[in-house]
Amino acid sequence: MLELPELNPVIHGKLRLALLSLLSGVEEAEFTWLRAKTGATDGNLGAQLMKLEEAGYVAVEKQFVQRKPQSLYRITEAGREALTEYVQALKQLLGGAI
Amino acid sequence: MPERMEIERRIVMTTSAEEQNLKDRISLIETMIAEGRRKTQSWGWFFVFCGVAYFICIAGSVWFKSHHSSPAQRWMIVIIQFLIFVIAAVRINVSFQKRGKGMKWPMGTLDRALFSIWLSAGISMAVLIVSLGYGGLSNSNLVVAVIGTLLGMANATSSGILKWKLQFACAVIWWATAAISCLGTQRQSFIALLVANFFCQIVFGVYGMICEARELRQGAVHA
Repeated sequence: MLELPELNPVIHGKLRLALLSLLSGVEEAEFTWLRAKTGATDGNLGAQLMKLEEAGYVAVEKQFVQRKPQSLYRITEAGREALTEYVQALKQLLGGAI
Repeated sequence: MPERMEIERRIVMTTSAEEQNLKDRISLIETMIAEGRRKTQSWGWFFVFCGVAYFICIAGSVWFKSHHSSPAQRWMIVIIQFLIFVIAAVRINVSFQKRGKGMKWPMGTLDRALFSIWLSAGISMAVLIVSLGYGGLSNSNLVVAVIGTLLGMANATSSGILKWKLQFACAVIWWATAAISCLGTQRQSFIALLVANFFCQIVFGVYGMICEARELRQGAVHA
């Protein structure tokens, strides 16, 4: 039987996949920017970012700018590798379909 | 390995729905990466603004002519005026962006590269022209040659990064302006500057804005 590649369950979630893809194109991004781009609610977005953070795929830096809290997210090296592997696995699964 | 994952791993794509689901994910990745890079191009307005500001500054320099007889001093004033315009424009743009969308737009590697090129070209130009003017070493031809060379370099580098032939054409026009300034008279040099400013800043900037608007509608990304 043909060995099928494994799809990383942490990235497989649509919102988490969107977040990791967004972060792969920028150096770092604010929570508000990610919310605007994905259209997710604060609660859902926070929860999904937490899962990515726990997996070591994103790093967060919290700071205050003009006395307002600001969360800056960036993709880690592990996150970038995981995304690359995920895309390769997808392509392999799809084979000639893409 | 969790059991659920083991099952998922062994999914064989027998239905078109499963295949479509995976294709959707590829599409989602592409769209999101493109979204992250979307702002890279939205600088057409800045080219137009700089072109118009430069014309205003040159017009202002005519007024200063009665107070400052030295052309070097007049050029210094033009550059300082221009810098004030540019700094104000950047500040207004940043404030507008923050108020309008309530967020700071993130910077990608490409943005940083382009930003660095233009910032270094701008600073080099300002430092050189102001210093030459202050030291009484410059004349109009030399100033236009400096502007043409540095803007040619910045446009050419930027065109290489963006693979944008039209921007390289702008670089050639700026370099030609620099050459005319070295070889021609003061009047020829001044006319070359005005022509280059019109085509490479205003016309090119308007074209850039049209491209941005078109790509925004199509959801595509240039960079």
